[in-house]
Amino acid sequence: MTGVTVSVENLSVRVGAFALRNLNLSVAAGEILVLLGPNGAGKSVTLETIAGFHQPKSGRILVHGRNIARLPSEDRRVGLVFQNFGLFPHLSVARNVAIGLDARRAAPDAGAGGVPGDVPELLAHFGISHLADRDPRGLSAGEKQRVALARAFANRPDLFLFDEPFSALDARTRDQLREDLDHFVRASGVPAVFVTHDHSDARVLADRIAVIDDGAVIQEGSATEIFHRPINPFVANFVGIENVLPGRIEGRTGEYLRIAIGRSAVQARSAGDERDGQRVTVCIRAEDVSLHSAARPEAGAAPGLNELSARIVGLANLGTLTKVTVDCGFNLVAYVMTRQARELGLAPGAEMRAAIDAGSIHAVPYS
Amino acid sequence: MSSRGLHRDPDSTAGSGAAADLSPTTGPLKSEGPWPAVLRRRRPNALFLTFWLIGSLLVAFMVLPLIGLGATQTGASLARVARMADVQQAIWLSIEASLITVAIAGFAGVPLAYVLARTRFPGKAILGAVIDLPLTVPHTVSGIALLTVLGREGILGEPANALAGMKFWGTIAGIVAAMLFVSAPYAVNAARIGFEAVDPRLEKVARTLGLGPWRTFFAITLPLAWRGIATGLTLTYARAISEFGAVVIIAYYPMTAPVRIYDMFLRFGLDDAAAAAVLLLIITIGLFILFRYVAYGGGSRPGEGR
Repeated sequence: MTGVTVSVENLSVRVGAFALRNLNLSVAAGEILVLLGPNGAGKSVTLETIAGFHQPKSGRILVHGRNIARLPSEDRRVGLVFQNFGLFPHLSVARNVAIGLDARRAAPDAGAGGVPGDVPELLAHFGISHLADRDPRGLSAGEKQRVALARAFANRPDLFLFDEPFSALDARTRDQLREDLDHFVRASGVPAVFVTHDHSDARVLADRIAVIDDGAVIQEGSATEIFHRPINPFVANFVGIENVLPGRIEGRTGEYLRIAIGRSAVQARSAGDERDGQRVTVCIRAEDVSLHSAARPEAGAAPGLNELSARIVGLANLGTLTKVTVDCGFNLVAYVMTRQARELGLAPGAEMRAAIDAGSIHAVPYS
Repeated sequence: MSSRGLHRDPDSTAGSGAAADLSPTTGPLKSEGPWPAVLRRRRPNALFLTFWLIGSLLVAFMVLPLIGLGATQTGASLARVARMADVQQAIWLSIEASLITVAIAGFAGVPLAYVLARTRFPGKAILGAVIDLPLTVPHTVSGIALLTVLGREGILGEPANALAGMKFWGTIAGIVAAMLFVSAPYAVNAARIGFEAVDPRLEKVARTLGLGPWRTFFAITLPLAWRGIATGLTLTYARAISEFGAVVIIAYYPMTAPVRIYDMFLRFGLDDAAAAAVLLLIITIGLFILFRYVAYGGGSRPGEGR
């Protein structure tokens, strides 16, 4: 792949009882790779191994072609940002940013080229000049993040590492900080690995996502691939797909499969290698289901569009959206605007029609 | 059984997963029960009232003898004792020996505390118990135990004398050894608590910023753990200067202040001994307050640690 500046190859690490097994990752310049996975999956261990806090048993960590896997942390040039941003509470904002520069200048090999950038410039770049003399403990979350970014940036890192920086924040602050981080990291052109278990972090920030569980990468791909075409039921459930249903392949017509689910059946676009009679797990995101009044004329049996008669069995008002559960031979969850639900007079027992594009129905081998 | 758990510094735990300090904009008004805050505050809490009463008996028991002792003395009697050369010498010796003890306890105890706070190894719990051991041993026993090792024929005492001419019996070296033995656990335990309160992630960030392990320790960890360390050293000083049992066995002469007071009590009776005791009390408590002021007044201000 061109443009790859950082790659992790066949990395194996053992930390206590936990092990990472043959991990492979790559990040291009200006790209954000999100490591997504449940707690205890090995995301933080991966990050800390890249940063140099665990000794790998085998494997390489290449940065611009140079293997850094055996270097001490201080020689790796990674910028690390933790939950709550990890500012040094005994140092002023300016000293927080300066401490790494001072250390590099004091290093015996600091001669060649010197250390670029100075503290006032960095503070100005991140819009925090006015905070220079402040105690970091008194800053807002947004200000702390800026300081943490400036501090990491001061060292001209080859790679940014973010370990769940937002996990202690409320939703609104999280949204703001996500945008801010996205802006500064992309503007810097420095590749980044961002660890989180939060889907919205992954959706907003990721160029690519690697789903990790039990010390191994389960699936890697774009946000669309991960959230709409998970490769197995674990990923499907973990990325919050509302409809994960057991089905069986009954046959195919051209590029479409016919999959029996419950007392009904749907058409789905074929990936090519399915067998008739094969048991599968069917994944349908609620956002891909549209509900229509049963009175509306049927579109007809167009290939690629599923139209199912659906009886409402449950309604839950979530504010802007209302979650509607319908029975169309199997239980299916969909969302409608709460305002529309009211206008249409949706109520349990009402007969509707559910429409799902065949391309939005994703079948993975049952496991 | 140890000082562990006392003197925990709430400030130094900030950063270790505390979410509260991050989002000043959040937090709707807390509603705790049907009463407004003012009314709730006025309702007498029988539990705390009772505990206060019981606790204040203990405080009175601890303070009254010291006040009573002080009340026996006049300025004239204190001045008379303060002019006695052997009393002066004893007090200076006590101060000198206890400060040397603090220096040694800090130099050796702080690294040990850091190792205990940051690493895991088999037998760590046993090592922790061993460090606490001197606190459980009667001090006369400590003195005798030290003599067997540091005495004329002891496994350390004999070579130290033969090679370096260093004697532990009847010397300030012996006094320091006795003081160190009984007081070092305070230095180690309090420093360990101080180090444990420093978020290891701060050290990790420092490493990625280009600070090596030594620089990280001195620029980040040590300043952040300073209060715990200072608390430990203050307690070490207090324990060392007040030690009698172990010191009197290993070195009756030269006399430290507690030994001199005991000696005066035996030879001249209560009056002279009480005067010297009050003098020692004033000096030790004065130094104790000074050390505490240095420990809590200094350190952990932004911008000054380096």
